Amino acid sequence: MALTQALTIGIDIGGTKVAAGVVDPEGNILDRLRRDTPTKDPRETEDAIAEIVRDLESRHDVIAVGIGAAGFVDGTRSSVLFAPHLAWRHEPLRDAVERRLGVPVVVENDANAAAWSEWRFGGGQGESHLVCVTLGTGIGGAILNDGALQRGKFGIAGEFGHMQVVPGGHRCECGNRGCWEQYASGNALTREARELALSGSPVAHNLLRAAGGDPRKINGPMVTELAKDGDPVAVELLEDVGRWLGIGLANLAAALDPGTFVIGGGVSDAGELLLAPAREAFKRTLTGRGFRPEARIVRAVLGPEAGMVGAADLAREEATWLRRVRVKTTAVTAKTAAARGRSTRVERAARKSAARRTGLRAASAESAVELDDSEA
Amino acid sequence: MGLTIGIDVGGTKIAAGVVDADGTIGARTHRDTPADSVDATAAAIVDAAAELIAAHEVEAVGIGAAGFVSSDRSTVLFAPNLAWRDEPLGARVAEQLKIPVVVENDANAAAWGEFAFGAARAAEHMVCITVGTGIGGGVVIDGELLRGAHGVAAELGHMRVVPGGHRCGCGARGCWEQYASGRALVREGRAQAESGSLAAAQMLSVCGITDPAELTGPMITEAAAAGDPCAMELLEDLGRWLGEGLASIATLFDPSTIVIGGGVSAAKELLMKSAQVAFEKHLPARSNRPHPSFGLAELGNDAGLIGAADLARRPVPVL
Repeated sequence: MALTQALTIGIDIGGTKVAAGVVDPEGNILDRLRRDTPTKDPRETEDAIAEIVRDLESRHDVIAVGIGAAGFVDGTRSSVLFAPHLAWRHEPLRDAVERRLGVPVVVENDANAAAWSEWRFGGGQGESHLVCVTLGTGIGGAILNDGALQRGKFGIAGEFGHMQVVPGGHRCECGNRGCWEQYASGNALTREARELALSGSPVAHNLLRAAGGDPRKINGPMVTELAKDGDPVAVELLEDVGRWLGIGLANLAAALDPGTFVIGGGVSDAGELLLAPAREAFKRTLTGRGFRPEARIVRAVLGPEAGMVGAADLAREEATWLRRVRVKTTAVTAKTAAARGRSTRVERAARKSAARRTGLRAASAESAVELDDSEA
Repeated sequence: MGLTIGIDVGGTKIAAGVVDADGTIGARTHRDTPADSVDATAAAIVDAAAELIAAHEVEAVGIGAAGFVSSDRSTVLFAPNLAWRDEPLGARVAEQLKIPVVVENDANAAAWGEFAFGAARAAEHMVCITVGTGIGGGVVIDGELLRGAHGVAAELGHMRVVPGGHRCGCGARGCWEQYASGRALVREGRAQAESGSLAAAQMLSVCGITDPAELTGPMITEAAAAGDPCAMELLEDLGRWLGEGLASIATLFDPSTIVIGGGVSAAKELLMKSAQVAFEKHLPARSNRPHPSFGLAELGNDAGLIGAADLARRPVPVL
């Protein structure tokens, strides 16, 4: 089978649901499965992954599996250092799942996976300097420079949601106060809406009615629906979240100077109700405004399945690369082995940057390029 | 490659030096900065470089300048202290010197100096901040300087840390450099002295002045080094802001090494201790992640000059 036509499985592991799909090289989802996430025991989570893959494999010929998970994934993309909603602590997930399934497995931070698919197939295509922000319960983030995910030293770069934007602000589960995700996420939208309803304010009448009279039942999608129908308070609530979004994006622009911001996640369903105030606040707070080019702020186009598609596509990259390496393994000579010993930091960086263009496993990229060298 | 020239263009002084491939400075020269005239500034840069070129065989010139430098590494889009607006500085200087010239943001150049030859020699992912009057930032990812889509990345001093906070020259409020820079140190010191605080009065007398308006950053550092409690507290507060801001920055870049340089870093442990404590305390999910190392810059005032010279050896980068 030609690798370029091969199918892969993408799995998005959330705190409550595991969503999986069979994805083709153009990012189309051919088959889907969903089930609850067993969160308490890492083995049970692995079991669930294996079951889903076997189920999908029985109907499709797949060459690799990509797993997107909320949490810190280490720099070699093999272990989950920490997952806030699951029992993973320094969990060697890749090897464990690979052993069970017998196909290459890639583990990736969920926001990175979503960003990768937006760059390959969605709102970030063709952008050399892309920053993706995923607004769900919290805020996920990812940085793509020249099509390479920036993972940092330990694999955990791009955790934008935990930038402090208000000293001593709302408490965050990460242990700090005032994190951005306490102000510009789905949780923030829900918290503000419930607070308003609880205060007994007459302006929250429609909100309260939509929630059947119980403020605790108000959720983000409710606010978005009401805002789309023109309810002034719902519009304001999204405006407030949008403003915080824009302010945080201005911080990110100071640090990262991207060409495009892609905003995804459930809250982005509000579209311009969120993005218009975000753009306004961004323009109003951007450092050096008027004397610098400004990034575009656009909505993600792939929806809630972006993470699944991205994980699947990253798995395809990895599988394609592994096969190439196996073919070339015989070409390794003593000379290249010696060269490896001599390699300086700058040479390593150059090799990595060459390999990064295809988003390969960073730790192995070095040897891949050496293999290429040996052929020259 | 042989020798290159590094030029650090400051608000008052232009420092130039011949630098070898190991980052060692040979000959040096300097000129005053004619801050009000674009033409005179370019002429002074050319003059300083020409003096060094006459005596040494150099292959390229790197200029570090405070301001937004376009990704073409030649045009200064905007400079806060000089009259440059969309100024094709690199092209202009190259035309006169007849050798290749690159222009880099000064904080990027200093960061590169520390990365290539200084405190972050062993790192691949570095965040470097230069704490002077304001805060300059430089970020290295996988051995390459981060420039962003337009060349103006790593302006870390202008991340907002306090909503509606102190007014900043960049047009915004609450920028980090309004809380964790030399200017912030002096502002707080003067404010405390003007409030009639006895501790501040004692600090002024240690500094040998009576008028709070005469207070400077180096005076506060010296007083703190001599054990003055008020000066020590001022530096502690500054360090706390530094550490908190760096914790946010670490969430973006996940660096292996954080380097703190610039004039204010002369306070060393008086600043670093509280900075490190605040950093460790504010790093999100701190018990579930590796922490970067945290240290002082090593190249002092020469970091920008050395970094600019070394960047002049390098082709237009990928990032």
